[in-house]
Amino acid sequence: MSIFEYNGSALVAMVGKNCFAIASDRRLGVQLQTIATDFQRIFKIHDKLFLGLSGLGSDAQTLYQRLVFRHKLYQLREERDMKPETFASLVSAILYEKRFGPYFCQPVIAGLGDDDKPFICTMDSIGAKELAKDFVVAGTASESLYGACESMFKPDMEHEELFETISQALLSSVDRDCLSGWGGHVYVVTPSEVTERILKGRMD
Amino acid sequence: MGRSFTDTVYDMGDSQYSFSLTTFSPSGKLVQIEHALTAVGSGQTSLGIKASNGVVIATEKKLPSILVDETSVQKIQILTPNIGVVYSGMGPDSRVLVRKSRKQAEQYNRLYKEPIPVTQLVRETAAVMQEFTQSGGVRPFGVSLLVAGFDDKGPQLYQVDPSGSYFSWKASAMGKNVSNAKTFLEKRYTDDMELEDAIHTAILTLKEGFEGQISGKNIEIGVIEADKTFRVLTAAQIEDYLQEVE
Amino acid sequence: MVAADSRASMGGYISSQSVKKIIEINPYMLGTMAGGAADCQFWHRNLGIKCRLHELANKRRISVTGASKLLANILYSYRGMGLSVGTMIAGWDEKGPGLYYVDSEGGRLKGTKFSVGSGSPYAYGVLDSGYHYDMTIDEAAELARRSIYHATFRDGASGGVASVYHVGPTGWTKLSGDDVGELHYSYYPVEPAIVEQEMTEAVVA
Repeated sequence: MSIFEYNGSALVAMVGKNCFAIASDRRLGVQLQTIATDFQRIFKIHDKLFLGLSGLGSDAQTLYQRLVFRHKLYQLREERDMKPETFASLVSAILYEKRFGPYFCQPVIAGLGDDDKPFICTMDSIGAKELAKDFVVAGTASESLYGACESMFKPDMEHEELFETISQALLSSVDRDCLSGWGGHVYVVTPSEVTERILKGRMD
Repeated sequence: MGRSFTDTVYDMGDSQYSFSLTTFSPSGKLVQIEHALTAVGSGQTSLGIKASNGVVIATEKKLPSILVDETSVQKIQILTPNIGVVYSGMGPDSRVLVRKSRKQAEQYNRLYKEPIPVTQLVRETAAVMQEFTQSGGVRPFGVSLLVAGFDDKGPQLYQVDPSGSYFSWKASAMGKNVSNAKTFLEKRYTDDMELEDAIHTAILTLKEGFEGQISGKNIEIGVIEADKTFRVLTAAQIEDYLQEVE
Repeated sequence: MVAADSRASMGGYISSQSVKKIIEINPYMLGTMAGGAADCQFWHRNLGIKCRLHELANKRRISVTGASKLLANILYSYRGMGLSVGTMIAGWDEKGPGLYYVDSEGGRLKGTKFSVGSGSPYAYGVLDSGYHYDMTIDEAAELARRSIYHATFRDGASGGVASVYHVGPTGWTKLSGDDVGELHYSYYPVEPAIVEQEMTEAVVA
C-alpha cells in the first residue's frame, strides 16, 4: 500500500481562453473507509493563484500552511503577489528540501500570470516540475483523469464550457476509483472573477 | 548543579569577550559608524544619476602610482545582469559586500527562478551592513554603495551607507567631493532627463572636482537602461563621451 | 431478505459497477458474492449443479442446510489453497426459511441475519440497530436496502446498485434495484443553498 493512496484523492486543472479551472474530489478516507466528504484539497494562494495538493491529507495541510507562510512573507517583503511561475519554483524548492523524507503530496498549481496568461503545472513529491499547456492531473484517480481529459479537453474554451468539461472529467474519472469521489469542488478563475462550485456526485 | 559551574565559566568567557565594538557614546552616537563615514568621505568620489530611461553610475579611479596597471582595477562591479554597484571608501570592504550581494542574488534566483528585484538586493545588502554595526568581533564597513538597476519597476538608484541605512535617489554623490558634487547635481538634475544627458552630467560632475586631467583611464562609468543589461563603459567609450562634453 | 451492492474492484480500480452479486442458485435459493469474484461465481454454479443433481436423485429439493453444507465441504477441501469466498446461502425449504453463512476458511454458520464483505461492518451497524423479528416484508426490504446504501457510502470497495431480493414459500423474487448514486440524494436531499456558496477564506487547519 502506497502512502500516497492512504487517503485517496483526485485533482485536475485545465487551461481555457484567458482562464483556468482547478477541481478536486471531496473525499478523505483511511484506505477504503470514508471518513469525510467535505475535505479541502484546493487552496487559494491569492485571487489568481490556486494550489491543489493530492496525496496524504496531513502532509497536504502542513505543506499548504508552509506555503501560505512563505507567500505572506513574500507579499510583505516585495509588496506584490507571487507570479504562478515563481510560486511553482518556491513549491519545488520546498519539496526538494525534504528530498530524503518527502511530503507525500503531488501538487497541482494553477494561476493567471502577467497579462492574465493561464499557467498550470504539477510536480512529483520531491519537486520535479512538469509544465503543461492543456491540463494536469494528480491523485489516486490520475489514470482515469488522464483518459477523461485526453478525450474531453479542447483548447481555448470559454469559462462556462471549461467548467462543464472539468466537472464531467472529474466526475466520470472518480467513478472508476474506489478511493476518490464523494462529490467535487471546482474553481473557475477568469481575470475578473473566481467562481467556486460544489459538485454533487455519486456518494459511493 | 555539578554542571552549572562549567557552564557559568563558559558563559562568562562568551559574554566578556564578545561585546560589539560598536557601542553607543553617551551622546547617543555610534562613533564607529561616524568613523566609517569619515572613511567614505575621504574616499574617491562616486556618483549616480537616475534618468527617465536608465541609470548611470560613475567614479574616479585614481591609482596610488602610475606604475599600477589601470586595466586591473575595476571599481564598478556587476551584481546581477541588471544590477551594478560602485563604492566610495575602502576597496577591500566593498569586495566583501559585492561577494555577499552576489550570493544573495543567486540564492533568490535559485529559489524563485526570477531575477532579484533591485529593492530586495539593496535591502539584503543593507541588512548585512547593519549586522556589522551590531555583531561581535567585527567592524562596520568603510564604504558607501551606489546601486544602479533596472527591473519591472523601471530604473532605480540606491545609496547604502555603513550604518545600513539606504535611500532611493534621483541623483547622489559620495566620497571626497560629495558636497560640491551634490550641489552640482542639484543644479543640473531634471526629472525628464534622459540617459545620454545623465551620462554627460555625470562626467561633468566628476570633472568639476577632478584633480588633474580626466581621461577614459582614470574614471569608470556604468550604465543600465531598458534592455536590463548593466554594462561598464570601456576606456574608449568614455573617451568618446569626454569628447562630447568638451 | 437478501441484498447486495454491485461493485467489482481490482485494487483501487473499479472494474465494474454492475455485477450480479446475488446468484440465483435455483428458484428457491440464493447465494451472495463477496471475496474473489471468480471463486464465488464458479462455486455457486457448481453448487447449483449439485443441488439439481440432488433434486433428480431424491425427487425433492435439497434443504438450505444441505446445500450450504455441500458448499462448505467443497471450500474446506480447498482450504489453504488461496480460494476467497464469503457467502450467504438463503432459501426456502421444507422447514421454512433458511440462512447460512459460508466462507472459504471452512466456516459455516446458521443465523437470522448476516452481512459479508468489505462493507459488512457498516451494513451490520444499520442492520443491528434497525432489525426486529416481526418486521413486515416492506420494512425488512427497506432495512436491507438502507444497510447496503450505508455500506456503499462508507466503504470504497462497495457501490453501484443496491439489489434487494425476497425469498418466500414460493421462491425468490427481486424486489428492487436502486442506483445508490440516486439513493443517496433521496435519503439525504441537498438544499440548493449548499450547492453554490460564496467564496470564503480557506480554512487554516
